[in-house]
Amino acid sequence: MSVLECKDLCKNYGHAPALDQVSLAVEPGHIVGLLGPNGSGKTTLIKLANGLLTPTSGEILVCGMRPGKETHACVSYLPERTAIPTWMSTAQLLDFYGDFYADFRRDAAEEMLAHLNIQPRQRIKQMSKGTREKVQLIMVMSRAAKLYLLDEPIGGVDPATRDYILSTIIGNYNPEAAVVISTHLISDVEKVLDEVIFINQGRVVLQSSVDQIREEKGMSVDELFREVFKC
Amino acid sequence: MLRKLMKHEFRATGRIMLPLFLILLVTAFGANLSTRGLMSTQYRILDVLGGLLITAFFVAIVGVCVMSFVLMVQRFYKNLLQDEGYVMMTLPVSVHQQVWSKLIVSSVWFILTVLAVILAACIMAFNVSFLGEFFQGLRGLFRELREIGAYYAINGTAIAVELIALTFLSLVAFCLQFYAALAVGHSFANHKMACSVAFFFGFQFVLQFLGGTGIFAFDALNLFDFLPSWQLNGMAAVHAVLIFCIVLVVLYSAIFYAITTFCLKKRLNLE
Repeated sequence: MSVLECKDLCKNYGHAPALDQVSLAVEPGHIVGLLGPNGSGKTTLIKLANGLLTPTSGEILVCGMRPGKETHACVSYLPERTAIPTWMSTAQLLDFYGDFYADFRRDAAEEMLAHLNIQPRQRIKQMSKGTREKVQLIMVMSRAAKLYLLDEPIGGVDPATRDYILSTIIGNYNPEAAVVISTHLISDVEKVLDEVIFINQGRVVLQSSVDQIREEKGMSVDELFREVFKC
Repeated sequence: MLRKLMKHEFRATGRIMLPLFLILLVTAFGANLSTRGLMSTQYRILDVLGGLLITAFFVAIVGVCVMSFVLMVQRFYKNLLQDEGYVMMTLPVSVHQQVWSKLIVSSVWFILTVLAVILAACIMAFNVSFLGEFFQGLRGLFRELREIGAYYAINGTAIAVELIALTFLSLVAFCLQFYAALAVGHSFANHKMACSVAFFFGFQFVLQFLGGTGIFAFDALNLFDFLPSWQLNGMAAVHAVLIFCIVLVVLYSAIFYAITTFCLKKRLNLE
């Protein structure tokens, strides 16, 4: 069964369409790149999967259900911005995730935080922007979820942090789960992807495996992206 | 899950309210010192200090009351409709649990604020004879109640309970009016806060309009012409009016609650 499925999904903001007749399916055990230029509808799609937006028409199913509190229990979501409560200390944040998510692996999170020399009593607001993003990613990746939805996880961070983020994703995701990474920084994520979905102006223009692109088109995902989205 | 939401809500709000309560009680102690002679010494500096302590006490009372109210609005706004909303609205909990947790915790802080202010006032007014006078007053009250009879004692207590319930429910309704205005305002793409303020006053206008026209309509019904034998004594009328007001407040609270949950479920539009 697909962990994420969209059927003729449409979302309009006023009269402007953000997603138009999107149909796709994401299977478990795959790392999928949701790739497209800015404003292509990537974040809208991820928000719809999280129930943060309601579709204008069509259907979106997560683990076979419409987004709601049941699907929230099996989805681990990394928003495009730092959303963890900044007044909390790291220990309080661990309590928070542990309280609400049965699949939260506190020991894994503590190990990753210790690796970054982040003290349990340290407050989130005392951390730099980059450290906050790392802490948020650690919380998200410490869950044994069925679907990870990561919205721009490497946007706005330095190359060293990008490597740390990608290695944290690869090293900690549940292998039976699907990971959807939304980004426009293709070259950085290409090496970790199994599959890609190209999205432009709210429409899916391509869904293919990375190996297929390399074999059939003879080019990397980054090269194909530049060709498809040439201005 | 509601219990867990409330636990973290208390954590978030307690770090602000508890120190404020402590400040209030400390300033009450300071004000007590002033009333016990600090301001009537021959030393001008002690007079000034006494005056400052009294001022600090009143500022603390206002501060605690304002803060409990501001916190109620701010927690809903920041925690559900701003960046933290991305975490909160994707928790495996229902929108109803989210709203109830905010509502219950805010109500608890309102009650604790009232109790803290009463306690602070007692600390400020406390002297050796204070407790004696207080209990003497209570004894006098019960003696008088016995004298005027069980009818007035029971009805008086019932009216007090009804008034307290009405005050508490009005506060809850007031919270829900803010929640509804914020939820509706933030479902728009632009000028979210301006829309929220406009909706708050819009709701207020509608309530007053309906209340005003309701009274005129009730008067125009001429109920007593239809029911000439229906007589209500003064005490029953007071109860009837208070219970009617309670039902009315519960009704418009329910409407604001429905608006809030509908917007958070169907029209959530985080930046």
